[in-house]
Amino acid sequence: MAQPVFPIALCALLLLSACSPPPKVSRQTHPLPAGVDIARSEIGRSGGVFIDSSPGEPSTFNPLVSEDATSGGFIGLFLDSLVHNNAVTQEVEPGLAARWDIAPDNRTFTFHLRPGVLWSDGHPFSADDVLFTFQAIYDPRFPNRAAFDLSVDGQKFKVEKIDDLTVRLTTPQIYAPFLETVGGVGLLPKHELEPAFRDGTLLKSWNVSVAQKEPQRLLATGAFRLRSYQPAERIVFEANPHYWRADAQGVRLPYVDFLVTKLVKDANASTLAFATGQTDAEGLSPDNVAWIDRYASRYGFSVFNRGPSPNTGFIWFNQNPGHDTAGKPFVTPYKLAWFTDRRFRQAISHGIDRQGLVRGVLFGRGQPLWGPETPANKKWYNPNVTQYPYDPARSRALLAEAGFQIGPDQKLHDRQGNLVEFTLNSNQENQLRVNMATAFKENMRDLGITVNLSFLDFGTLVGKIQDSYDYEAGMLGLTGGGDPAGGISVFSSKGRLHQWYPNQKTPATPWEARIDQLMSDQLHTLDYPTRKKYFDEVQKIMSDETPFIYLVTANAYVGIKDRWKNIRIPPLGSLVWNLDELWTPLLTP
Amino acid sequence: MIPFILRRLTTLVPMLLAVTLLVFILMSLAPGDFLTPVKAQRDINPALIAELQKSFGLDRPWYQQYALWLGNVLHLDFGYSWTYKVPVAQLIAQRAPATILLSITSLLLAWTLAIPLAVLAAARPGGWIDRLTSAAAYFALAIPEFFLALLAVWMAARTGWFPIGGLTSLDYDFLSPAAQFLDIAHHLILPTLVLGLGGVAGTLRVLRANVLDVLQAEYITAARAKGLSEKVVLFRHVLRNALNPLLSTIGYAFAGLLSGSLLVENVMNYPGLGRLVYEAFIREDQFVVLGSVVVACSLLIVGNLLSDLALAWSDPRVRYGR
Amino acid sequence: MAADLLRSLLRRPAGMISACLLLLLYGAALFAPFLSPTIPSAQDLSRTYHPPTALVWQNGHLSVRLYRLVDPSTATYEPLPDQTATLRWFSHGPAYKFFWLIPSTRHLFTVSSPATIYLLGSDATGRDVFTRLLYGAGISLSIGLIGVALTSFLGLTIGGLAGYLGGWPDTLAMRLTEFLMAVPGLYLLLALRAALSSRFPSDATFLLIVVILSALGWAGTARVVRGLVLSLRERPFILAANVIGQRPWTILFRHLLPNTFSYLIVAATLSVPGYILGEAALSFLGLGIQEPSSSWGLMLGQAQDIKIFMLNFWWLLTPGLAIILTVIAFNLLGDALRDAVDPRFRLPGK
Repeated sequence: MAQPVFPIALCALLLLSACSPPPKVSRQTHPLPAGVDIARSEIGRSGGVFIDSSPGEPSTFNPLVSEDATSGGFIGLFLDSLVHNNAVTQEVEPGLAARWDIAPDNRTFTFHLRPGVLWSDGHPFSADDVLFTFQAIYDPRFPNRAAFDLSVDGQKFKVEKIDDLTVRLTTPQIYAPFLETVGGVGLLPKHELEPAFRDGTLLKSWNVSVAQKEPQRLLATGAFRLRSYQPAERIVFEANPHYWRADAQGVRLPYVDFLVTKLVKDANASTLAFATGQTDAEGLSPDNVAWIDRYASRYGFSVFNRGPSPNTGFIWFNQNPGHDTAGKPFVTPYKLAWFTDRRFRQAISHGIDRQGLVRGVLFGRGQPLWGPETPANKKWYNPNVTQYPYDPARSRALLAEAGFQIGPDQKLHDRQGNLVEFTLNSNQENQLRVNMATAFKENMRDLGITVNLSFLDFGTLVGKIQDSYDYEAGMLGLTGGGDPAGGISVFSSKGRLHQWYPNQKTPATPWEARIDQLMSDQLHTLDYPTRKKYFDEVQKIMSDETPFIYLVTANAYVGIKDRWKNIRIPPLGSLVWNLDELWTPLLTP
Repeated sequence: MIPFILRRLTTLVPMLLAVTLLVFILMSLAPGDFLTPVKAQRDINPALIAELQKSFGLDRPWYQQYALWLGNVLHLDFGYSWTYKVPVAQLIAQRAPATILLSITSLLLAWTLAIPLAVLAAARPGGWIDRLTSAAAYFALAIPEFFLALLAVWMAARTGWFPIGGLTSLDYDFLSPAAQFLDIAHHLILPTLVLGLGGVAGTLRVLRANVLDVLQAEYITAARAKGLSEKVVLFRHVLRNALNPLLSTIGYAFAGLLSGSLLVENVMNYPGLGRLVYEAFIREDQFVVLGSVVVACSLLIVGNLLSDLALAWSDPRVRYGR
Repeated sequence: MAADLLRSLLRRPAGMISACLLLLLYGAALFAPFLSPTIPSAQDLSRTYHPPTALVWQNGHLSVRLYRLVDPSTATYEPLPDQTATLRWFSHGPAYKFFWLIPSTRHLFTVSSPATIYLLGSDATGRDVFTRLLYGAGISLSIGLIGVALTSFLGLTIGGLAGYLGGWPDTLAMRLTEFLMAVPGLYLLLALRAALSSRFPSDATFLLIVVILSALGWAGTARVVRGLVLSLRERPFILAANVIGQRPWTILFRHLLPNTFSYLIVAATLSVPGYILGEAALSFLGLGIQEPSSSWGLMLGQAQDIKIFMLNFWWLLTPGLAIILTVIAFNLLGDALRDAVDPRFRLPGK
């Protein structure tokens, strides 16, 4: 850090706090488990502290309570699962289960656990822990999110213990995303949590208060275990001395001694911490890459392009034909007629200067988006969807075909002479979205369409979209990526997030019926090419009918300090996918 | 005096009732609730949302929720934070020390800077010290705290002289006690300056006026007539009497402990109550909001009471009236 | 009496300067559409984060330098050597409405297209920051005036009635004010804003903020007025009015309240900064004025964004400086007024 002229007393103070020796660590050495997993990565050296930051506080360390990504990320560091989803290849890999068999009925999965794996307190990990975890998840006393992810049409999976190291799970019907969902379930220690399960306080155990006062009670099977938690300041994880992975020379992973997460207020503060050399890794948005590069050599970091992010942004029109309890239609009938006309939506789509948005708002670091998945989702993305390049002439032609014409006032009118005007609702918290909305308004003015912008609190906006339906157009984003099963609530006409017309009893249009069919079909086969074919068609229909007018997707970037080796950056999800394999030749930052 | 204190404290109860009721009504009027962000996630089951609503009591009308909360408060149970699943009292106790520390350091800054400056300024009204300090005070009172906080963060980011946010360094746990103390001091410098500046200016203006008043008193003339040096007169006799009314500001400072630093804490990323409370407001984590309102309101009333007591103690002319 | 006040005010240099400064600021806000080279919503996506254009004197005319976007990925611009565009005075530009009524296209200065003038640079969608600053002044400055007018009216009526009538109306009003003053202000601000936001359309946020700030602010004024009325009530001329049998309302509105007028002016002037800072704080938190409108607080809030923080710091400074100037001017004016009225007058809570 540059430290020019500065009062002497403070200098001394800075020296004192900056030059303290790195923590001396003597790691406990325990024999490797029989079922040890040997990493195939480059062989490194143990030691070092990896520092990152989190724009948000964990709300809990209990996987049954966690509903937010921040808490989920921290839990994933210390609680391991049966299988892993490799974020780089998007394939399922062995975790605490060394291997598994799928019976010919495609519903019965037998998992063989790694022998000799111990919890961080030295207690053996066994099939009982798996059984206990599912018992806790399915217990109606503890409503939790996993209970719904791990059932099909309300029916639970059957979980049986074959022996201490073998578990069999049976799904009621063929369930395509089975391995992915099971991969997300962090397994709980029965010997630690059973008392809380018995007396019904399971949801209150492993809360932030326990993490602060008795961190050692949060038992780990993952690469790290919690060392300390200071609310609003930092979380320190240390290497789990019983972790079940080692390198080719038999050195137990993880290489790093400590994983320190600075807890900051928001993404801005997080980016600032990285830009000023305080942290080792940071996810960067394209607008920040623009200036952060200037600090790269000063603080010794590099910025990597992860390619397109999985985040989608879109505009949609309210196509809900219903009316409120007073009999007032949600959407004025003549406007509903425009919104349900495919040509109108396509014309709007052709009228949006997506390249301009990418260039101006995203500093050229992004690409136009035409369908519900971005290229980030390599496994499921369909590149052959219908595109709507910026073409105002084509827009005007489509509008003319649908009966719209420019009036003497230079504004667009429909066949009955109604002025084409609508209000676009969005949330105010997202500055990038605010910028896009203002740009959209200008684009539409060129077509003679008047757009009024209304920026609401997120709560108000969600209320309008999901409960009261009294709006004309909306602009939001969804994080895509992952298995198509996650998109059912969006694509299926019964879905809650089928935002242009949610919770339909029967599909309003033939194409929505077709999507319903495809989404249901893909769920009930394990065959990837078949599922891909179905989901490709869903993406194609979405782009043809444009109920969502997709805008742009920004590229995602990761900045990482150059001193770290073995870095593998996945296109989706966490910044560094293989934290346990990271190592550094330079122990002090 | 004791009946006076008791009488004042009994007004606390209806006040708290009214304030919490008002906040509760306002929060129930606000669109959405704690579960709104959950509802917007794409892979969450409606049945789970319904179950969570039930377990939080969000499916009931607001007056039932309020009555339930009030009943629990009578047993000194301020409810659970929905976000953290931790009792509210525990959560507030967890975050309060940092905020109290900051309040104390900024008050100390205000006094140590303002007292000598005010005396010097009042010693020669219209002199250059007086003009300079009063101009600086106008300026300091006009800067919005959050703007100053932004400038401080920018300065820290550009120069690297000060840490950006937080109260301790990452290696705090591994430091010696002396180094730990210095580490905290280093982190406190900027927030203290930002929060204390307004206090310096305010105290300066009040104190200067007081000193000027006292200077005109007869006993000061008498002291001067005795031939005491101007320094002794100023700092021994004038200051002591001019400080009395300032005692009352301690109470106000106490009252502002909780809400005074909310904006600054949020901009400067300071790990105190302000951040917790603001986040709770935004997330509509009902019981945390109510708990902090109760604490803030009690502090305000008790603080005002302390001010009055300090004033009465320092100035015998003030009596305990109604 | 008002004329006296004005005269003694203008005799003080501080009062004189601050009054002129405020006139200037309000004038700029009032004539913002004319003074700014464009309109606040005009975007140019090919010129985002443009640096401030330099003004040069060339061929006997004031001209602006032209810039070239060197690297769109980092928003780096460099001036084109020897290329300038001449400033055109009183020329035509984007259409606007003067005082929301008179349509006009005349601007004080513009440059001919495709050149643009960004005195303070441009923002994320290529809008002119200078224009937004001027338009924002209108909102930020008028919130102070309207808010104070509203609270003065409320305070005068409630405080006057309470002081004059005494008895239970007095008790009721005083308990109410004590209650309002006992609630931590920022909390109530946040709660009120959350509760009312869905009841106001988003383009009426301005109104919403004025209502919220006034609802919290009247208590102080009411207490001052009540105190003044109480002390005046025992004065001979009021007693005399009572004796000759004037009706209570006449006494209150003819004799009592006009006598509190000068104090009220002082109190009002000194409380305007509170409203300006209140709006700034709310907008700064993202709870106040909304895009596409602009206000100083909103601009400061947007400057929190880390890339603006590192790329365009002057953008952050300008609205902040504007707020500071305005607040200093109001405080100076208020103090000068107070000295003119009664040097020992103190506002409650100050």
